[in-house]
Amino acid sequence: MSYLLNQLNAVRHLAEFEAMATSKKVITREEWEKRLNDVKVRKEDMNKLVMNFLVTEGYVEAAEKFRLESGTEPDIDIATITDRMAVKKAVQCGNLEDAIEKVNDLNPEILDTNPQLFFHLQQQRLIELIRNGKVEEALEFAQEELAPRGEENQSFLEELERTVALLAFEDVTNCPVGELLDISQRLKTASEVNAAILTSQSHEKDPKLPSLLKMLIWAQNQLDEKAAYPRINDLSTGALEDPAV
Amino acid sequence: MPSSASSSRQNHAEQLIARLNSVETPPESKLQDLRNMKNQIIGSRTKKLDYLSLGAVPCIVSILSIVVASMHSGGGGDELLELIAIQAAAIIGSFACRLESGVEAVLEAGACAFLMILITHQNEKVVDAVARSLKWIYQSKLAPKFYFLEEKNMEFLLSLLNSKNENVSCLGANIITRSCQTRMEQQALSGAGVITKLASLLDGSLSQREASLESLSVVMKKNPEIITKFLGYQNGGAVNFLTELIKDKHPRTRLLACACLIVIRNSCTTYLQDSRIKTGLVQTLLELLEDPDQVGDDAPFVLSSLIAEKEDLQMIAFECQVIEKLCNYLEAGPFQAKRLQGIFLALADMCSELECCRDRAFSLEALIYIKDALKHDSADVRTAACIFLRNLSRSVKNMSAGHFTNANITSPMVQLLCDSCPSVQIAALGAICNMVIDFTARESIFMQGGLKQLVQLSKSMVSAIRVNAIWALRNLAFLVNNRCKEEILLELTIPTLTSLICDPETSVQEQALALVRNLVDGPSDSVKYVFDEAGLLLDAIGKKLHSTVKIEVLIQGMYVLSNIASGNEIQKEAAMNQLFPQCWNNTQTSFIKFLQSTDSRLRIAAVWALVNLTFPNSPGACRRVIKLLNAGIISQLKTMVNDPCLDVKTKNDKREMCLNLSTQTTTK
Repeated sequence: MSYLLNQLNAVRHLAEFEAMATSKKVITREEWEKRLNDVKVRKEDMNKLVMNFLVTEGYVEAAEKFRLESGTEPDIDIATITDRMAVKKAVQCGNLEDAIEKVNDLNPEILDTNPQLFFHLQQQRLIELIRNGKVEEALEFAQEELAPRGEENQSFLEELERTVALLAFEDVTNCPVGELLDISQRLKTASEVNAAILTSQSHEKDPKLPSLLKMLIWAQNQLDEKAAYPRINDLSTGALEDPAV
Repeated sequence: MPSSASSSRQNHAEQLIARLNSVETPPESKLQDLRNMKNQIIGSRTKKLDYLSLGAVPCIVSILSIVVASMHSGGGGDELLELIAIQAAAIIGSFACRLESGVEAVLEAGACAFLMILITHQNEKVVDAVARSLKWIYQSKLAPKFYFLEEKNMEFLLSLLNSKNENVSCLGANIITRSCQTRMEQQALSGAGVITKLASLLDGSLSQREASLESLSVVMKKNPEIITKFLGYQNGGAVNFLTELIKDKHPRTRLLACACLIVIRNSCTTYLQDSRIKTGLVQTLLELLEDPDQVGDDAPFVLSSLIAEKEDLQMIAFECQVIEKLCNYLEAGPFQAKRLQGIFLALADMCSELECCRDRAFSLEALIYIKDALKHDSADVRTAACIFLRNLSRSVKNMSAGHFTNANITSPMVQLLCDSCPSVQIAALGAICNMVIDFTARESIFMQGGLKQLVQLSKSMVSAIRVNAIWALRNLAFLVNNRCKEEILLELTIPTLTSLICDPETSVQEQALALVRNLVDGPSDSVKYVFDEAGLLLDAIGKKLHSTVKIEVLIQGMYVLSNIASGNEIQKEAAMNQLFPQCWNNTQTSFIKFLQSTDSRLRIAAVWALVNLTFPNSPGACRRVIKLLNAGIISQLKTMVNDPCLDVKTKNDKREMCLNLSTQTTTK
C-alpha cells in the first residue's frame, strides 16, 4: 500500500508543479522513482488505514490478529464487530427473520428509525419466501407486513409491486424483475444493514481505503493531461508502468 | 385468504398477551413471548397500533413492576429477570418511538416511574435498554414535566448527565430539552453546572452532541447571562466549536448547531454579528431544506427564527436567493404538511418588511401556490398560507396592480372565514384586513358575501377573531362611498356597533371606534350615520371617552367626536354635549387631561375637536367658546402655544385665530 500512497503524493505534487507547463512533459522511470523515494509516509498511518478497513468490513479475526501483531488499536470495539457480522451473514444466507432478531438485540432503535432499511429487510424476506416456493405464505406476508409500509410511502409501494410481480411469472429467472432473486440483491441488503449498524455506533460506514484509491485514480487522470509518467494501472499489484514515449 | 389470516394473527397477539398476563406462565416462556412481541412491533406502525389496542402496554408495565419489586427485595442478580427487563424496556421504547398514541399509552400505564428506578440497576444492559426507552418518551411533547427546582431531582439529573453510558447522558439532555421552560429553571440548571456539562458533551459521540445542542438552545434561550457563561467556557472554545459544527457532515448536527447559534444571536446582540456568520447560517439552512427527512421539515422553522423581524438578515437571505429557492420547493412539491407549513412561514417572514422580497415573490407566482394551499387538509398549512398572503398584501404597489383580484384569490379567502379552525380564521382575517384597502379587491370581497361573514365574525366568542373582523370592517369602510357605508351599517346594525364599543377587550373598542370614525369621515352628510333614533351610539362613544384609560381608544373616540363636530349645528352641539356633559362634575378636568396628555396624538385630536367646535361660521360657535372659557380650556390652550409637537402648535394657532375672531364678535 505504501507505493500507492507514495504514488498519490508524487502525482499531486507534480500536478501542482506542472500547472504552468504548456506542453506535455515526459518523466522517466528513474526520475519518477527518485521522486517517490523522497515522499515519506508514516507506518502508523498505514496501519490505521488497514485496521479501519478490516474493522469496517467486519474481518474480526484478522482485525484481532493485526491488533496483536502491529499494536494498532481499532477505533471500534472488536466485540461489536462480531455481532454486526452475524447480522450480515444471516442476510447473506437468506435468513432474514434471524437477521432482524439479531439487529433488534443489538440495538432496537435501528429498525424503528430507519424505515427504508426495515422495508428492504422485509422485502428480502418476501423474496426468500418466493424463492423457496412458499407462495401462499409469501402473499400473506406481503399483505400483512409490506402492504402497510407501501401505504405509508409511495416509493415503497412501487418496490413492493415489483417484488410481488415475481409471483406472476412462471420462469422467474427470465422475468423483468428477475434480478431481485440474484445473490447480489442479498448482498445489497446486507451492505445496507451493515452501514446502518455502523452509523448507530457512531462509526463511519465506509472504509477510508477506497476513497484513497479513488483519489489516486483521479489525480493520475488529472496529471495525464500535463505529463507522461509511470502510472499505476493495476491497483491490486501497484506496479509502475513506463510512460509511452 | 387475507381476512382470516389477519384474524388469526389477531388471535396470536391476544394469546401472547394473555400468556404474559398469566401468573402460571413460566418466566422462560414470558421471555420468549416478549422477544416475539418486540420483534413484531419494531419498525411496524400497524403492529404497534394493533398491540396497543389489545392492551399490551399495561401488561408490559406490570412485568416491569415485578422486576422493580424484586430489585428492592434484594433479588438483583437474577439473570432471567434481567433479560426480561431488557426486553420489556425495549418494547416500551418501541411503542414510544415517534408514535403519539404509544407515548400516551406508556404514560397512562405508569411506565415512567418504574423506568426511572430501573435506570440505576447494576446491569449495564438493563440500564441501556431503559435509557433508550426513556429517551423516546422524553422526545415527545407528552412527556411528563421534570421539576428541576427540587434538589433531589437536580441531583438525579446531574447523575444522568455524568453517566459514562451514552444513552443515559443523552437522556439527561433530552429531559432538559423537554422540561426547561422558565427563566428560574434556566438559572437553576446553570447554577448546578449543567451548562459546563452540556458543553463538554458537545465533544462526545454523535448522539451526545446532538442531544446537548438541543438542550443548550433551550437553556440559553433569551437568557443573556447564561449565554455569556457559555461563551466564556474554555475561553471561547465552546462557541468556536459550535460555529464549526454548522459545517459538520451530519445534517441534523448542522441544523441543531444553526438553531443554537441563532438562539445566541437573538438574545445577545453583540455576539455573532459577523456578516460571514450570518451568510453562513442562511446558506447552511438553505441547503438543509433539501434533506428528505425530518431535518428538511425542521429547517424552514429554524430559518424563520433567524430572519423574523430582522431586516438585515432578510436582506442577506434575499441576496442568497432564499425566495427563489423556497418558491422552487413549492413548485417541486407535494410535501408533508409540516414542511409546507414551514416553507410558507419562512416566506411570510421574508416578505414581512422588505418590498424587494414581496416583488420577487409576486414575480415567481407565489399567489398560485398560496391559492392551492388555502384548500389544504392541514389547518396549519392553511394558516401559514394566509399569513404569507397577509404579508404580501402589505405591498401597496402589487395590490393596486390587481394581482389579488387577477389570481381569483378573494373567493377562497372569503370561504376561509367560515373555516372550522379559529387560527385559520384569524390568519385569513389578517390578510383580508390588508386586501380590502385596495378598491378592486374590496369590490370583489363585497360581492362574494365577505361583508356578511365579517359581521358574523365580529360577534365571535373568540376575542382575537372579533378584533380582526372589526379591523377588516374598519379598513373596508375607509374612503368608501355612502352606499357602501349604508350597506355596512345595515348588516352590522347600530346596536351591535354600540356593544362593540363597550366590548370587554380594549383592542375591540379601539377598532370599533376607528370603524365609526371611517364611517363619519368623508362628505359632510357622512356624519349622519352616527345618529340613530335613541342616540345610543353617540352616548356610548361619549361614555367610553370619559371612562377609558387606554390611549388608543381615547384617540379614536376623540377623532370620532371631532369629525362629528365638523358637521352642522345640531351635530356640533351633539359632539359638544358628549365632550362636556352637563351632569358630570369633573368633566372639565377630563378634557383638560386630554390636552395635557403625554401622547401627542391625543393632544392633536383634542385640539382638532376644539377647532371644529369653535369654527367661526357656525351660529352656536360663540356660545360654545364661552362654555370652553368657563371650563378653563382656553387658558390651557394658551399654555400649549409652544407645544413641542408642531402639529399641535399649528392647530393651536388656528384655534387662536378662531378664538380671537369670536372674542372680537363678543366684545363688539
